[in-house]
Amino acid sequence: MPAIETDGLTRRFGDLTAVDTLDLTVEDGEVFGFLGPNGAGKSTTINMLLGFLKPTDGAATVLGHDAAGQSRAVRQRTGLLPEGFELYENLTGREHVVSAIDTKNADDDPDHLIERVGLDPEAAQRRAGGYSKGMTQRLALAVALVGEPDLLILDEPSSGLDPKGAKLLREIVREEADRGATVFFSSHILGQVEQVCDRVGIMNQGEMVAVDTIDALRDQMGAESLVAAEVAASPDPDAVAAVDGVREVTVDGNHVEIACTQPRAKMPALRALDDAATVTDIAVEDADLEALFERYTGDDPGDGSGAEEAEKAPESAATAGGEDV
Amino acid sequence: MSLLTVARDDFTNARRSYAVLGVVGVLTSIVALIFVSEIGVYDDPFRTLFDVSFFLFLVFPIVLAPLTYLAIAGDRDGGAIKYAMGLPNSRAEYVFGKLLSRLGVTLFAVLFAVGVGFLVALATFVNAPDVVMFATFAGVSLLFAFAFVGVYVGISAVTASRSRAMLGVFGAYFVLVPFWFGFLPVISLTELLRTAADLLGVTLSQNTVQFVQALSPATAYLYSTEVVYQSVLPSATYQNMTATFTEVPDEIYREFWFNAATMLVWGAGSMLVGYLSFRRSELG
Repeated sequence: MPAIETDGLTRRFGDLTAVDTLDLTVEDGEVFGFLGPNGAGKSTTINMLLGFLKPTDGAATVLGHDAAGQSRAVRQRTGLLPEGFELYENLTGREHVVSAIDTKNADDDPDHLIERVGLDPEAAQRRAGGYSKGMTQRLALAVALVGEPDLLILDEPSSGLDPKGAKLLREIVREEADRGATVFFSSHILGQVEQVCDRVGIMNQGEMVAVDTIDALRDQMGAESLVAAEVAASPDPDAVAAVDGVREVTVDGNHVEIACTQPRAKMPALRALDDAATVTDIAVEDADLEALFERYTGDDPGDGSGAEEAEKAPESAATAGGEDV
Repeated sequence: MSLLTVARDDFTNARRSYAVLGVVGVLTSIVALIFVSEIGVYDDPFRTLFDVSFFLFLVFPIVLAPLTYLAIAGDRDGGAIKYAMGLPNSRAEYVFGKLLSRLGVTLFAVLFAVGVGFLVALATFVNAPDVVMFATFAGVSLLFAFAFVGVYVGISAVTASRSRAMLGVFGAYFVLVPFWFGFLPVISLTELLRTAADLLGVTLSQNTVQFVQALSPATAYLYSTEVVYQSVLPSATYQNMTATFTEVPDEIYREFWFNAATMLVWGAGSMLVGYLSFRRSELG
């Protein structure tokens, strides 16, 4: 049984279609990265999974329960770290965790959970009204972990976390996945999910434009690499451009950029450049998933630069982009 | 039970807020002040209680407003509702947990204020205050408080933002107290009824008008306080009070049970409407 299954899930707000016939399956036990820019419809989807919002059309099944009609049963087995929430300002952090334990009839030790998310035990005894964003996120993570939930829904969990906190978050996600929990990790930053997720779905303007494993997405990119070099004097780019696997050479004064469609083209390209000019410094950037993400979620795929974009983009991306317009 | 967890959290959160302490303090100070200012005026504390009831009739619903209007709308506005409803609470448990907590705060405020009034009277009045009378007064005032807490928390359940909840609560106060009772010169329910009757060519009896007036929880409270003074009425000393409670028509709307029921129905009915609205509302 999949942990989450949506069937034509749609939500409209007046004329705006926030989520458009979403068909999504998240398997039991997987860590799923739910990606998309702000306003893509991620939180609206999550709110429908939890019964906060009713779908305009379609349905969602979470842990075998209808999300709209049996929301309480869903929430009993789900741990939620919501986005854009507040804590009760006059309750301590620990009291929030204790109430979550009471409500879920769980038998967790609140202090253990607080320690696990790296919240200072003294801070946990203070009122949550004075918490920083990072402390609030850590506390909400502790609340989400109450009762060993079968499903963790984390909506932008890294926002406000320092690098140490983000690392701890990834560790906890891995631990929870090892325990057998399904993790639904929503983010607008790819870098936060690529290290922990088995699969990612990229959402844009209410539609799922790509669902695949990180590796498959990387392959889709054609693993394009970029070699940037500083040279003593402007070279003739043609010799470098002629190297097999080099897509484009850009010369800007003493700065040369060589875009390679295959990683193995980098060294031959660099040798050709070294023959043509005196190279003083180089830097190499490998296939950047961020670029892929941006390509899927660009504001207006298919505008004037469409022809060139379509050439560069993998086929599926071009199709997905085309559907968006 | 998670209704009690919601209520406990809300009560703790309210108890530690200065706003709530302030409201309890203001209510208590005003009741105490009325007693203090009448030390040399009346010998009997119950006569001062009579003045307190008029004051509460007008001002208590205003005092209750800041105590209640954010109960649910504040959570929705700020986002704390995502914490509360992310946990396996049903909508009913959440709404009625909130109501229970705010009623608890109100119970404390009323008992504290009446208790302080009792102590002031005990220490300073010529005749000692009567415990039963003060307890009855507190009970009737709690019915009144139930009506308005129900109305206000109900409004809070219907609205999704602080500003709308505030507008709703003050609108409700205006309609239920000054407008319904009719002590604003032109804008009042009775004027409206008379105009409507004139247009239709019928005449409204005084009885009908008073019956309609008695259907507001505030008027019902005023009428219901008669039960407090039953043992001392009619009083030769206090003409004003005797006139208020003895020269009244022998009608259903001057019966205590009817007034009590009016207040209960307002409180419970508003909560039901608030719950039904909240049950269907979207929390995104």
